[in-house]
Amino acid sequence: MSNVISASQLTLAYDNGKKEIIKNANFSIRKGEFVFITGPSGSGKSTLLKALYGALKPTGGNLIVGGLDLANITTGKLQELRTHMGIIFQDYKLVNEWTVAKNVILPLMIAGYSVDVQHTQAQRLLKHVKLSEHSDRYPLELSGGEQQRVGVARALAKNPVVILADEPTGNLDDYSSNVIWDLMENACQQLETTVLVVTHKIPTIFSLPYRHFIIESKGVYEVH
Amino acid sequence: MKFIKNHLMFILPLMAILLGIEFYLVFDRTTNSYEKGLKEGYTMFVVSKKPMTLSAFKALNTHIESFEAIKRKDVVSDIVKGISKNNEKAILKALPFFYNVGLDAYVNTVELDKIKADLEANADIERVETFGNSYRSAYKLFAFIKFTLKLFIGFMGIVSLFLIIKQMEIWKYAHKQRMQVMEIFGAPLMLRSGVLFKVAVTDAIVATLITAMIFLYIKFEWAAKSGIDIIVKNKENLFRMSDMGILLGAALVIVIIAVYSVVFSSSGVDE
Ligand SMILES: Nc1ncnc2c1ncn2[C@@H]1O[C@H](COP(=O)(O)OP(=O)(O)OP(=O)(O)O)[C@@H](O)[C@H]1O
Ligand SMILES: [Mg+2]
Repeated sequence: MSNVISASQLTLAYDNGKKEIIKNANFSIRKGEFVFITGPSGSGKSTLLKALYGALKPTGGNLIVGGLDLANITTGKLQELRTHMGIIFQDYKLVNEWTVAKNVILPLMIAGYSVDVQHTQAQRLLKHVKLSEHSDRYPLELSGGEQQRVGVARALAKNPVVILADEPTGNLDDYSSNVIWDLMENACQQLETTVLVVTHKIPTIFSLPYRHFIIESKGVYEVH
Repeated sequence: MKFIKNHLMFILPLMAILLGIEFYLVFDRTTNSYEKGLKEGYTMFVVSKKPMTLSAFKALNTHIESFEAIKRKDVVSDIVKGISKNNEKAILKALPFFYNVGLDAYVNTVELDKIKADLEANADIERVETFGNSYRSAYKLFAFIKFTLKLFIGFMGIVSLFLIIKQMEIWKYAHKQRMQVMEIFGAPLMLRSGVLFKVAVTDAIVATLITAMIFLYIKFEWAAKSGIDIIVKNKENLFRMSDMGILLGAALVIVIIAVYSVVFSSSGVDE
């Protein structure tokens, strides 16, 4: 099976390499795998995801995603790569001047789907995350948990090849959290989507086999 | 209200630049015709031992364009009243040749002195009178007015450019979040900057139209009623339809630079 992500001797840092967050990490993730990433606050979980979607260049080692070397990637290739990713941010990153529906449509719009397809797909996902009746409202009129679910709907809208999720259930109660986990399990199982989820609490009821990485003291370790 | 203010903050400085450009075009055209008038009205006076031809003058200095011989008979006729025909002939023989020499452009005073020197270098030419002093003061006034107007337009342009940059920073702040999110999801540059372009191009067209309208009003309404001779005479120079193209082109160039400066400075993800 082919690796969707592979890191060797990967080093990530801020402030021009002065502030090292992750050092000499080695791991690889295959297509269709489900991975949980945990670790203390400030250990570098969000930083690792940032590197995976190409917003932070490795300062050392190699990081290959979808066959592309992220240390030496062109803007055009990175754009293309990102259209295959569904990213869920810890701070949601919704566009505040757009309606909920338009936010969800964004990846479909970038991919150039017809307006009809955009609309049906957005409504289908908003229904999944129980936000159908909010589709014409604006993000700032929603609660934190509701905004988070808009972010999840947006990430799943285009059936991405890889889902990168940063605390997708951080603001949700158990019921809403389970809705999100179900969606991700389905994507992984039915569409062979590769899923990486940063969380501080691995769900107790989880039906799929999964891998578990811990980030600690600049290292990335797998728990067996 | 905020929407209108946002647009005005871009349209007004853009208009200031366009007005400056249009003023410059109008001024250039009017001064060209004024310069032509000065040039045509000016001749230098040359005294020569032998008769000269135009090509002989041109060989001495390329600025020389026309010449006119002063009838020697007219010069002599006053003096020779009552003198015998033989004597008149003798005087006429002794008398040099006089010419009014015209130039091809309204040259500056340094060049004027050079033309004089070139002419005097010829052994046949006895005297050259450039009427330098009156020429000099007319030229200096003209050059001064031209310089101050250009300075003013340049200054206005720089101030306006700063106002536009300031407004761009406000736009950048307003559009940054959206453009960054779009970038993370892989939107190409054109899609990311689309909204900004629409706003900016609309503003550019509005600014061009308002500027054109102001000048059309001046041309067709105000100029005729003004009663100011030089403006009435130069009415045709005030605004030409081709200026519209120049203004729109300039506005679009400014807009494209402004938008790209916002787009590029907003790219990259930082929290
Ligand atoms: N843009 C930045 N510039 C400099 N340092 C940063 C930047 N972003 C994060 N850091 C630092 O990098 C370290 C790791 O941050 P990161 O956000 O990856 O932690 P995390 O594991 O996601 O934490 P949490 O669980 O609280 O979200 C922290 O010490 C943080 O202060
Ligand atoms: Mg984090």
